[in-house]
Amino acid sequence: MESYLFPFDNLLCMLLGISFTVWFTLLLVFIIVPAVFGVSFGIRRLYMNTLLKIFEWATLRMERGAKEKNQHLYKPYSNGIIAKEPASLEQEFQEMRRSGSGSGLGGAEFEMSDIFHFCRRGVESIVDDEVTKRFSAEELESWNLLTRSNYNFHHISTRLTVLWGVGVLIRYGILLPLRVTLAFTGVGLLVFLTSIIGLLPNGGMKCFLSEKAHLMCYRICVRALTAIITYHDSENKPKNGGICVANHTSPIDVIILASDGCYAMVGQVHGGLMGVIQRAMVKACPHIWFERSEVKDRHLVAKRLNDHVADKTKLPILIFPEGTCINNTSVMMFKKGSFEISCTVYPVAIKYDPRFGDAFWNSSKFGMVNYLLHMMSSWAIVCSVWYLPPMSREEGEDAVQFANRVKAAIARKGGLADLLWDGGLKREKVKEVFKEEQQKLYSKVLVGGGEDRSRS
Amino acid sequence: MGAFHSVPDDHEYHILSEKTGFSLEQIGILHNRFKQLSHNSDVLRRNDLHTIPDLACNPIRSQIVEAFFDGRNFRKNCEGPVQEIGFEEFLIVMSYFRPPSVHMTEEQREDIRRHKLRFLFNMHDTDNDGTITLEEYRHVVEELLSRSGSLGRETAKGIADAAMLEVANMSMGRMGPGEVYAGITFEHFLKILKDIEIETRMHIRFLNMDTTTLCK
Repeated sequence: MESYLFPFDNLLCMLLGISFTVWFTLLLVFIIVPAVFGVSFGIRRLYMNTLLKIFEWATLRMERGAKEKNQHLYKPYSNGIIAKEPASLEQEFQEMRRSGSGSGLGGAEFEMSDIFHFCRRGVESIVDDEVTKRFSAEELESWNLLTRSNYNFHHISTRLTVLWGVGVLIRYGILLPLRVTLAFTGVGLLVFLTSIIGLLPNGGMKCFLSEKAHLMCYRICVRALTAIITYHDSENKPKNGGICVANHTSPIDVIILASDGCYAMVGQVHGGLMGVIQRAMVKACPHIWFERSEVKDRHLVAKRLNDHVADKTKLPILIFPEGTCINNTSVMMFKKGSFEISCTVYPVAIKYDPRFGDAFWNSSKFGMVNYLLHMMSSWAIVCSVWYLPPMSREEGEDAVQFANRVKAAIARKGGLADLLWDGGLKREKVKEVFKEEQQKLYSKVLVGGGEDRSRS
Repeated sequence: MGAFHSVPDDHEYHILSEKTGFSLEQIGILHNRFKQLSHNSDVLRRNDLHTIPDLACNPIRSQIVEAFFDGRNFRKNCEGPVQEIGFEEFLIVMSYFRPPSVHMTEEQREDIRRHKLRFLFNMHDTDNDGTITLEEYRHVVEELLSRSGSLGRETAKGIADAAMLEVANMSMGRMGPGEVYAGITFEHFLKILKDIEIETRMHIRFLNMDTTTLCK
């Protein structure tokens, strides 16, 4: 019995050995070495263009199939279900009074029918509102062969289902293990290299080496996600002694920005693997990690940030002022804390292309590991980064106005909607102050109307 | 994650459509919205509605939310507030805001008008005794006006009192010194608002359905 197994056993081992070596060599040559040196073969762009062609074919096929079977295609709404009244509060009340003056009360006095306006507005908000929409992942017009993005497309044609099946095999069988290996390599190398560089004495050499090491490892991580990034306006890249602010869609934002330049990160100290990475990174160049207790103390936070930017040899700080992940169709309110620090602000706009993979992290729905698994089993992550020209706080402008100005610039460049609302609304409620705004407006209409009457 | 939707029963939708007058498409879209608000559960609670930021800046939001949980608005002969509602009740309350259809007889129009005004009346009459007392009315007026802005509390009270007086005059003619006005009954309410065009003021306009159709 054993003599039968023996030659096969040997053969099997040899085959495994060869395939493993080949695979690893390819990996090294085509992915890791270019990452180390910062060059690119253009394989990822080729991959992206091929995918686009396949998606177009798939969508056409689906539309044709649906027409043949006389079914309707589900194209999710992007602009809302209802037409909201465009007129302002004042206009609507004037109209109401003009039409309803038969009741004899006339003029701009309080009438029983005034409640209609608020009633209708209230129910309109229940049916469709701007904010709740932003916290669920953006819905696509065409299908990118991932069931998770469009669950209404069930079996339309065999060819399409086969294609989808092949897609699953490729993504989970080939791409996922490849990416996981790369991720481990990248992170492991980062920890290792930064620990070694940390042993060197402080000086120009250390900074130079740490920069190279960071960039190299982040580039490997970028390939681990198959992220295809286009950087625009690189002449505006953040410089030492400044703060870089960007809109936040996912934890990957950090990797995307850090693979093109060196930044000092800000964040809470974590335990576990993250903690190990954080401790290693801070050995090579100064990052700002806060203990959990220190986070509440705003003065301490501001002081540390101020100290960091005052030192011109230190790297620019990277901050995400929205405070939470938004689904990349809009930019929400920037928290003013980062804008109170006196230095130049370098805004950066990041826009993901949703056709290849949804980068939005809904942290109330999925955990971090789940999210990373999603990312690594998508086709690719395609995004554009725009470096905007630096801005500073002007005379007579307070932190909130400055924050809004920066936010508007980022939203405009990235093609995102500029919203007044607070990203914290993902979890909390609206402040009382907004309700009072509406009340004040209504009161003004009544009081203002009274004045008109007395004049006439 | 994209779980597979179970396509809801067409039959159920047809029944709802007949009860409320919405089209099948509109019911489907409202159902999606219901599920979004209730986080994919079958019942909606007050808290779910309170999480809508746009609603939170509406001065009478608590009245509006209460209206959704008010038994009198369900047309089922049940009274009093409930803790949670299903999709059917949600749709029935929404149907008070349905746009008027073009082909309607005078009688149907009158009927719809009465229903809408009844909805508003219920919103004011919180203790369900059939009349809007001065207290209840004052409460609504105060909610609508600012407590800290250009109108003080006294002014708001004054406005409510003046409005009540007008209503009393209209419905009861001149009152003697000893008479007390009990409150606005539903009939008085109808009389006061008979000239206001409710049909155009109290409905929600659904967008043209050409580009948004349901998958069967």
